[in-house]
Amino acid sequence: MNIGKKKIESEIFTGSMADISFLLIIFFMITSAFSATRGLDFALPEDSTTPPEIKQEDSIDVLVLPGPVDGPTNMQVDGNQMPLEGLLPYVAEKLRQNPEKPVILRTDPSASYGNMIAVFDELRQSEDKIGLKIETISIPTQREIQSIWSMLGIGQ
Amino acid sequence: MAIIRGRDRETSAKIFTASMADIVFLLIVFFVITYKVEVDRTRMVLPESWVRVKIPQEEKPAVISVAPRSEGYLIRVSTGEEMSLPVSTDEEVVTFASTEVARDPNKAFIIKADKEVPYERFDAILDALKQSNVKYIYLLSEQKTVK
Repeated sequence: MNIGKKKIESEIFTGSMADISFLLIIFFMITSAFSATRGLDFALPEDSTTPPEIKQEDSIDVLVLPGPVDGPTNMQVDGNQMPLEGLLPYVAEKLRQNPEKPVILRTDPSASYGNMIAVFDELRQSEDKIGLKIETISIPTQREIQSIWSMLGIGQ
Repeated sequence: MAIIRGRDRETSAKIFTASMADIVFLLIVFFVITYKVEVDRTRMVLPESWVRVKIPQEEKPAVISVAPRSEGYLIRVSTGEEMSLPVSTDEEVVTFASTEVARDPNKAFIIKADKEVPYERFDAILDALKQSNVKYIYLLSEQKTVK
């Protein structure tokens, strides 16, 4: 009688692997989000004891007024109503006279955030569109504007 | 001899599943690599812009979000490491930003606001960040496309 050793087959049970894998896929698919990691940047000036003084007449004053977010932008440049397309040619003309001329971007408090971004985006494209870089784009807050107006002794 | 006609011949229908494991693992690896914990999950429509700068994620910038009107323009703040928490006053934003700047003077801040948020809400946040001596601010936007 031939008594042979029984062979024990070693095997890893992989039947449930597909279930686990699909569970993981579903988890990652549901919880993952394509996050926006790009945007418009701007650096605030360094806090110094003697901040550079920008006089209104030395700068280009852009005032964004309330308007439809996805429609034509309603704004005034140096007190004159202007379409968004007219902004950069006007800025180019001013920059040719003084390349360091800053742009002050003010926005009416009742306008929307999207209105301001549309104009800020247009100004940031100056190098591509008119070949001139705007050195300083200042976005003053309402508190800063009011303190400047009160310093100058004029109402807005 | 019995003749088996073509239509009577049994053909076994099988779906080849041997490569399924490979595909599944490939998908898992993709999701594991691209998975990123979003610190602020406020649903909103971001404004669109042509200029979009990549926001450096290495230093984990702080996030300040302003929800759309449907959520009452609620402001949420996050250090960039923890999930965002709502704040009720502008002073709380100043306190939050000042704490973060005290910890890291070069800390970047992301402002994530719905495009229809009134500008005065954004202005209040910008003012709070200026008061806290924040140096770098990024305004989150979507890519503008030709319509």
